[in-house]
Parts: sequence; C-alpha cells; structure tokens
Amino acid sequence: MRKTLLVIMLVSLFGVVAAAQTTLTIYADDTRTPILQAIGADFTAATGVAVEVIEFAYNDLRPNFITATQAEEGPDIVIASHDWVGELVANGLVEPMDLGARTADFSSSALEAFTTGNLLYGMPYGTENLTLIYNKEYVPQPPKTWDEVLAIMRALYDPDAPMYGLAFQNTASNFYQFFPFLSAAGGYIFGNDAEGNPDACDVGIANEGAIFGATLYQDMLNEGILPSSVDWDTLNALVAGKNVAMVITGPWLLNAIQDAGWDYGIARIPAIKGPGGAYFQPKVFMGVQGFMISSFSENKALAVDFLLNYIATTDVMAQIANAGNRVPTFIPAIGLASADLAAFSEQAAFGLPMPSIPEMSSIWQEGGNALDLINAGTDPAVALQQAYDLILTAVGCE
Amino acid sequence: MIRRLRTDTVYRIRHILGRCVRHLLLWIAIAFALFPVLWIASASINPTSSLATQRFIPEQVTLDHYRTLFTDPNYPFVTWLLNTLKVSGITAVGAVILCTLAGYSFSRFHFRGRRVGVLAMLLVQMFPQMLAMVAIFLLLRSIGDWVPAFGLNTHLGLIMVYLAGAVGFNTWLIKGYFDTIPRSLEESAMIDGATPFQAFVRIMLPLVRPILAVILIIQFMASYAEFILASVLLRGTDTYTLSVGLRFFTEQAMSRRWGPFAAGAIVGGFVILLLFLPFQRLIVSGLTGGAVKE
Amino acid sequence: MIGLGILDAIAIWAAVGLITSSQYGLLAVLVIGCGLLNGLVLSRRAYPIRYLAPSLIFLFGLVIYPICYTAYVSLTNLQTGNLLSKDRVIQLFEDRYYLPEDTTRFAYSAYLDEADAVILVLEDAVSGDRLMAEAGQIAPFDAEDPRITVDPADQSIEIAGYRRVEGLEIYQIVSRLETLVFPYADRFVRLSTVREFAVYEKQYAYDEATDTMTDLATGIGYAPIDGTFTSADGEELEPGFQVWVGLRHFASLFRNARIRRDFGRVFLWTVIWSVGSVLCSFSLGLGLALLLNDKKLRMRMLYRTLLIVPYVMPVFISALVWRGMFNENFGIINRLFKDWFGFAVEWLDNPMLARGTLIFINVWLSFPYMMLISLGALQSIPEQLYEAARVDGAGMFRRFWKVTLPLLMISLAPLLIGSFAFAFNNFTLIWLVTSGRPAVLGAATPAGATDILISWTYRIAFQGGAGNQYGFASAIAIVIFVLIATISAIGFRFTKRLEEVYK
Repeated sequence: MRKTLLVIMLVSLFGVVAAAQTTLTIYADDTRTPILQAIGADFTAATGVAVEVIEFAYNDLRPNFITATQAEEGPDIVIASHDWVGELVANGLVEPMDLGARTADFSSSALEAFTTGNLLYGMPYGTENLTLIYNKEYVPQPPKTWDEVLAIMRALYDPDAPMYGLAFQNTASNFYQFFPFLSAAGGYIFGNDAEGNPDACDVGIANEGAIFGATLYQDMLNEGILPSSVDWDTLNALVAGKNVAMVITGPWLLNAIQDAGWDYGIARIPAIKGPGGAYFQPKVFMGVQGFMISSFSENKALAVDFLLNYIATTDVMAQIANAGNRVPTFIPAIGLASADLAAFSEQAAFGLPMPSIPEMSSIWQEGGNALDLINAGTDPAVALQQAYDLILTAVGCE
Repeated sequence: MIRRLRTDTVYRIRHILGRCVRHLLLWIAIAFALFPVLWIASASINPTSSLATQRFIPEQVTLDHYRTLFTDPNYPFVTWLLNTLKVSGITAVGAVILCTLAGYSFSRFHFRGRRVGVLAMLLVQMFPQMLAMVAIFLLLRSIGDWVPAFGLNTHLGLIMVYLAGAVGFNTWLIKGYFDTIPRSLEESAMIDGATPFQAFVRIMLPLVRPILAVILIIQFMASYAEFILASVLLRGTDTYTLSVGLRFFTEQAMSRRWGPFAAGAIVGGFVILLLFLPFQRLIVSGLTGGAVKE
Repeated sequence: MIGLGILDAIAIWAAVGLITSSQYGLLAVLVIGCGLLNGLVLSRRAYPIRYLAPSLIFLFGLVIYPICYTAYVSLTNLQTGNLLSKDRVIQLFEDRYYLPEDTTRFAYSAYLDEADAVILVLEDAVSGDRLMAEAGQIAPFDAEDPRITVDPADQSIEIAGYRRVEGLEIYQIVSRLETLVFPYADRFVRLSTVREFAVYEKQYAYDEATDTMTDLATGIGYAPIDGTFTSADGEELEPGFQVWVGLRHFASLFRNARIRRDFGRVFLWTVIWSVGSVLCSFSLGLGLALLLNDKKLRMRMLYRTLLIVPYVMPVFISALVWRGMFNENFGIINRLFKDWFGFAVEWLDNPMLARGTLIFINVWLSFPYMMLISLGALQSIPEQLYEAARVDGAGMFRRFWKVTLPLLMISLAPLLIGSFAFAFNNFTLIWLVTSGRPAVLGAATPAGATDILISWTYRIAFQGGAGNQYGFASAIAIVIFVLIATISAIGFRFTKRLEEVYK
C-alpha cells in the first residue's frame, strides 16, 4: 500500500521533471500552422528548443487565448488581429515588444495598429482591407464614380438568371462591409482626443455623412439592383456561379474568384458623389494581423528571438502573408507580394485601422443592428440614431 | 352517439381509405423529416461548397469531400468519430449506473429530505450551463493540476462534466419507474435471506432493463450532440469529438468548407443511426412500466 | 472496510499536495467529502446515501460548485480590464521595466555549477568593461579573484567549480536567466535578448504599507479604487484587478430602466418559444405516434426509422442547413415559393416570421424524441380501458380526450417540463439561426426580435461596449436560474396534482 503510493509519487515527480524541457508554445489558425511548424522545426534544429503549434479555428483563437492565459495554461505566442490589442492590454495578457533596430523593417502604419499607450504589443505580418474586384467579362473598365456603378448595376440586373451588377456581404453581422458607405461623406467611428487616442464618447456613425451613405445604400436595395441578405456563403456562391459582376470584398475571396475562373481586375471603391456635388472616396477598415507575446509567458526572450530572427525574414514573411492573401507589412517582403495584393494597397491608402479599444464591440453590435433595420426598410436616420444612442449608453458616456 | 350501422363493404372501404390516409400522412411527415437531410447529403457530393444556393440534385457528383474526411491529416475525422463514440458511450453507461443507484435510493428508502432532494436535483440542472462555463473550465484546470488524467483536454474530464449534467433528470425517470414496481418482490427476496444490495442486483435490475435502455440512448444522443462545453474543454484536433470537429470546418475565417462538413455530418449521423436501431425497440417498450399505476 | 482505508490514505496524500500548492478551495471540498464518506459507510442510518453517493459527488462537484462559483463571480467585478487578481496585477506592474535612452548593453557568458547556481560575466558592448553577476549582486569583474582564471591567449574566462554554458545550451537556460534582476547603480540589469543583458529602469514601485503604486518616472501615486489603480486626477492604470462588489450587479440589473423595458418582451418571447416548441413538437410527435401505434400497419419499422433521422443529425449542422434554406434571396424555400406562388417571404428578416420559423425548426429537431416517448407511453395504456370506453359508446375523439391524453400526461409531464426547461435555455439554436436578430426599432438594449433570455444575456454581457462582463453575466444567469426553477417547480407541483386525481 505504501509502496504503491511511493511509486505513484515518484512517477508524478518524474512527469514534472520530464515536462521541464523548454518549449515555445504558439496558438495559430489553420493557414498559419503549417508554416509555423516548418519554421519551428528549423528553430528547434538550431537551438534545441522545442516549438509546439496548437491549432484553433480562427474565430476561437481570441477566446481560447484569454481563457487559457488567465488560467496560466496559455501559449507564449499567439496569432492575433490588431483590434484585439485593446481588450488584451486592458486585461494585462500581452507583453510589450521592442523590435529594436528591426523596427525600420516594418511599415509604420502596421506598427501603429499594434500600438496603444505608446507601447508596441505585436509584430505585424500582413494587412487586409476591402476593395473593388470586378469581372472584366462584364465590366471591361473599372468604374470611377458611383454613378457609373449604378449604371452598370441597372444594366446587368436580371433577377431570373440571377445576375447582379454588384454584391457584398450585407447581413447584420457585416457592419465591416457597410462602413465604406458611412465613411464616404463624413461618417466615422471614434474621433480622436487631444492626444490622438480614440475617444469613445465621440461617435460619428449618425452624422450627416453617414446618413447620406446609408440612404444611398437603402435606395439600391429598394430598387432591387443590390441583392439583400448576402452572407459569406451566398457571396461565395454568387462568385462561383458568376452571378455577379463586381464585389466589394477583401483578399480572402481571391481564391474563390480565381477558382471560379474570373478574368478579374482590382480597383479602388468608386467615389461617391456627396450632397454638395463633391466626390468622396469611401474609406475602409484596415485589419492588421501579427504575432503577440503573452505576458504570462516564461519564455519571452526566446519568443522574441524566434519572432525576430526566424519569422521576420523576407522569405518567411512573404510566405505567411501570401498564404493568407494579406499584403505583407514587412517592407523587404512587399516586393514579393503578388500583384493582386499590391493592388489592394491602392484602396488601403484610404483606409484606417479598426479601432482596437474594447468599446469597439458595441460598434459592431449596434452598427449591425442598425444595418439590420436599414435592410428591413427603416429610415436610415432613425436606425443610425438608435445605434448612436445605444452605443453611448453601452460605453457609459451618457 | 355514433351509430354503427354499416354493411361489410362500406366498412372495408372505409378501412382501406383510412389506411391509405395513414400512409399518406406518414409519408408527408417523412418528407418533412428527411428534406434537410437529403439536402446535406446532396451538399456532401456537390463539388461547389455552398449551402444556400446549390441545386437539389448537383450537376456534378464528387466523392472528394468524403475522401478529404478520411485522408486529410489536418482533420482527423475518424479519430473524432471514435472519440465521440468513446465519450458518449462511457457517459451513457456511467449515467445509467449512477442514476439507477440514486433512483433506487430515492424510491425505496425513506430518509429526511427525500422529496426535496429529488426536486432539488431536477431544478439544479436547469442552470444555464453556458454561463457556468468559466467555472467549469477553472474547476477542471484545478483538478487537472492535481490528477492530470481528469483535467482539461482530457476525455475523462469531459465525461465527468457530462455525467454531472445527466444525473438529475435521469434519476427522476428511473425513480418513477422504480415506484411502479411493488416492494413485495424485494421483501420476499430479503425474507429468503438476500441482503438489500443483492435484492437490488438480482431482482430489481432485470425488471428495469427497458428504462435503462431508454436512459442509455437518450444520454448517448445528448452527449453526442453537445459541442459548447466540448469546444471549451478540449483543444488540439486530436481530442475533439465529432460535433466540435465538424464545427472546426465552419469556423475558419476564410474557408467555410461545407462539402466535408456535410459529408462528416452524414457519416456521423449514419453511424449513430446504426447504433440506434437495435435500441429503438427497447425504448418504445421501455417507458411502458413507468405509466402503469396500479 | 479496506476500500475505505485505501480511500482515506489517498485522501491524506492528496490533502498534503493541496496544502503545498495552496489550493484551499479544493482542500475544503476534499475534507468535507472525505468526512461525509466516512460517515456514510460507518453509520447505519446513512445506508441509503451509499447508493446516492456517487451521483451526489458528481452533482455537487460539477453542477452545484459551478453554480456557487457563478454566484461568487456575480458578486465581483470580473470583466475585461479586471480579470486578474490583485497580486498578479501588482506583480505585473512591478515587472515593468523599460530601456532608458542611455542604456548600456552587455554581451554575456553564463557559468553553472553542480548545484545549478549561475554566475554571469557581462561585457559592456561599448567600453569593454566587465562585470560579474552572482547571487543577485553585480560587482566589477575582479581578475584577482582566486576562483577566476583568464586565459591570456583568447581572453576567455574560467571559474573554478563552474562550467561555462556553451552553444545551444544557452537556449535551455534563457528562460531562467529571464527571471534574474540585478540592482546596478540605481537601476537594474536584466536579460534583454537571448544574447544580451541591458540596463533597465523600473517603471513602478508598489508600497504595501500604503497600498499605492507609484510611477517612478512621474512620481504620481495610484491608489486601488474599485479594482483599478487610480491617481488623484482620475487617471487609471491598465490592467485592473478583480474585487468584491457585492450586490452591485443585481442592483444595476433591477434599477436599469432600459433593461427593464426590454426584459418583458424578451421574457415573454422566451416563454412563448419554450411553450410553443414543446406543444407543437409534442403534438406532431403524438400524432405520428398515434398513426404508428397500429400493429397491423405495414412498414412500421421503416417509418419509425426514417422519422427519427432528424434526432440523429447533429444540431449544429441542422440549424445551419435550415438557415441556408430559409435565406431570403437564395434559399431553396424561397426559390420554390417564387416558382410556385410568385413571391418570396422574408422568413428570417421579419420579426414575427422569424419567430415562427424558429419554432418550426425546433419542431423539426424535437419531434422524433416526442414521437418516441409518446409511442412508449401509448403502449402502456391497457387495452381494457379502450374497450370499456368503446362499450360505453365513446367515439374516437372522446376516447382520445378522456382516456389516452390524461394517462399520457401523467407519465410524460415530467419529460415535457424537462423539454420546456431545455428550450428555455436553448442558446445554441437561436444563436446559430438568427443570433437573436432581426433588430427591433426602439430597443433599449441589444435585444433582437428572437432573443431569448440567455442569448440576450450573452449580447449584453459579452458584446456590449465594455468587453466581456463576466460578473454582470453571472448575475443575470442567477436571475434566469431563479426564474426557470420557479416556473418548473410550479409545473411539477401541477403534475403532482394530476397524479393524485388519477390514482
């Protein structure tokens, strides 16, 4: 009896000791995992430190990281989107990073996206933004203004085929895709305070410019030339069946477009004529993705070493960015990006990084609700005003 | 009063008509039941992956999705299926054992707090489990520090959580069943010299076999379909159960892979159906005794 | 008896382990559990509990404990920004070092002895000065130290009793070196990268006596107020920490006029949804069971097998498939409607239609279960009762209403109440199909037309403007629990009365 206990204790002790070999743990999604595993193998060969990549579905990365790190079971490095920075920093879960001399290798706007409170919290590898992708078979020349877009939509619209001139995701959870309309004539999300940080109490989604854009959108819906209830699957189906001539989407749809055999071109989102007659270029959200280091990590120096010396090389950065169809943020790798991805940067010049403060979640929530109401026919001014009121309440700025 | 003046032929025609109507109604119900399933089956052999806009009969047929299921190393479908069978099976058997003991106790023994106890057990189950997830996660983590075999990302840990959730309601069911069996049976056994436990095992258990089959199947199905807790407590594609694994296909940001998803659902459903068939008959007769009140 | 002895021994061993790792909560559970177990086995009066014990262990451990923990959380301010414990946050701030402008960088060599004590020799990258770091102290490198031998040829250093860490082994000890901090001339020397140490400034200092965190650069002191270190000006330091807030969440829940306004609507829909789902699926299931209850019906087994297929498919995929089919523009149902009737219906976009559609989908998911239990209960009704009724001249409907249904309800009522409770909390289906949408004009909180209590909670607590509010969500969970438990308890009382009548 006592012997068994002794054996059990010894075995568990051994287990503890055996687990003490240094391991670098990374949480990644399916696109990045194979690449990281390969580089990780190189790192292990060079340094003797094991690298373990745990794969999660992309949408599960953030919640799993938060839960695991809190419980001190978390990884050392996590693949992250820049708009998580606000929440993760507020929770004390990520560690500031110092890229030292390598800072110059990264595009400054990407670095800024991962910076809050004057500290950098991540190493970016790619950016993404919406832009216009058109099928040259139906639209030989990209439209420059929104009037041209409307003309194309009216000409091509055929409900029986079905055929649409333009489509983009516009179900309630796609406020991200709706933003260009709001932003064109002057809508914005959060204004900046005196120090240049987003001011959560200065919300601009219900101002005149926003209402103008939303009305334009609703008019297209009412006319029937813009399909409603388009979610991700529907958009994919439209693209695959060539039932749409132009889409406003991000680089994530490129594979589907290529698979469908489109002769495609990439251009900026056409300018919208404002109420005063001037033309405005719609602004889009920019998403930056990168690597973040957990503040609970016990291998921070190793993590930084891995990131700076093994990931932040031209080849690897190009590989990672291309795998996910992102424009690389590592300056030497930009030349290796495909021409398509470079075309996205045209619109990116009119882009703003998604605000990363936690208050953003109420924007997605209420903005989505407003879009829902507008889709159902509510007056855009009313819908956006409701969203504005609810956001201010939720954020605590009565 | 309904008059029963009928000639033979009229009666027979009515009888046949009635039967035809029955079959018709049943076939309508079957169409209702199977329509989405046929849709999923169609999606599983359709090369273009889109759930919303595909045609019912695909223009091209492909077995690629099934092939992906069984060969793609990133998505170890067979492992998931086996994991699910293991977890659900053990949960179901464990639930039967636990609840039989507990139900017997509530039914036969008189002790303080008996009635309140059963009701409490039932009501406690109604806590919205989704919101207690943080607590369960932390609890399993602590347990895992202490006894690694039962911690996070282990099947045993998940089984424990499922069992805890299964106890209340099933105990009630079994208790009700036990209530209908007269005590005289055990008493006579005990007079013959058996201990209470022996009476329990030799006399009572065989009598309640049908309801045990019911609990077994219902609990198996419940564990099989559960994915919220499993997705929180399991990580790493090797330990996933089927529901979590299938969800994996659709939660990737850029590639909703409906084809393999549908194929996985069909295969999983088919396997369960095969397991279900022999037990079906038992279920139907299993709830019999519980309703009979002398 | 022997078994009990073994269990007690294991328990004592585990207790020691728990004490050393300071897991007092689990320790308490263990002690109580063990005491009870011993009491059970040794006392005769507690005999019945022997049978109950295994179930109770699971129930208490994994159901009641989480409920208690949730209750505990509802009394704290656990949320984004206040996730960590105060000690952890203090440690986080104390570990914040930054590189000052005039920092010095050192290349280093590490030396380990048999007891794994480490000595570092640091070399200033710029000036070439050497320092030696040992046992938490830094001193200038003293070549005269008897333990040290400097090889004149390549200037490499040997220390008696220590071996130099070469090549790849550095990587194995880097994580340990990371934890070392050496005071040096009013500042600190720490590991900077894998190959370098550097001089750092500390950013914060915590004074336990006054419970203040001071920013060393600016001199501003921050006192812990309500879970965050706050300065006199109101400036807050991120992250905050978890503190006890008492009944604040419950108070704000009940006092919040916006939540009160939406609560009635959401609660009403939740009840209608649960009752509607159960009634409709039960009616369908019972109807089918009545049809199938005829032993003379041909192909009975086939029908039964085909009809339980919805029960066998995972909820996840069924819900998504139905959502796709009801898609307004491209779903198959609207395509058929357009072909046959010429118009499309906005199934999931119109509030009333969305609610109906959800109930429809839930009926599809649950009717096989209802059919099975109805079949079982039907077969338990003795034939004699039917015969007696027929003799008395009762027709089909009368027979059903007065004989079949009441007897069915006695056996099935608990199951139906269980289904009701399950539907009440059925977050999965609502979330997958509509996520609570369509949105409602005039809503005061993010409550859509098809939001049930639990999905509404999720939206307020986790998708509101302040990140994830676990404390608030837990408070709402407790309230929901009290509601559903009360409703169910009343339901059970009601069925008890039914039973009395028919006994």
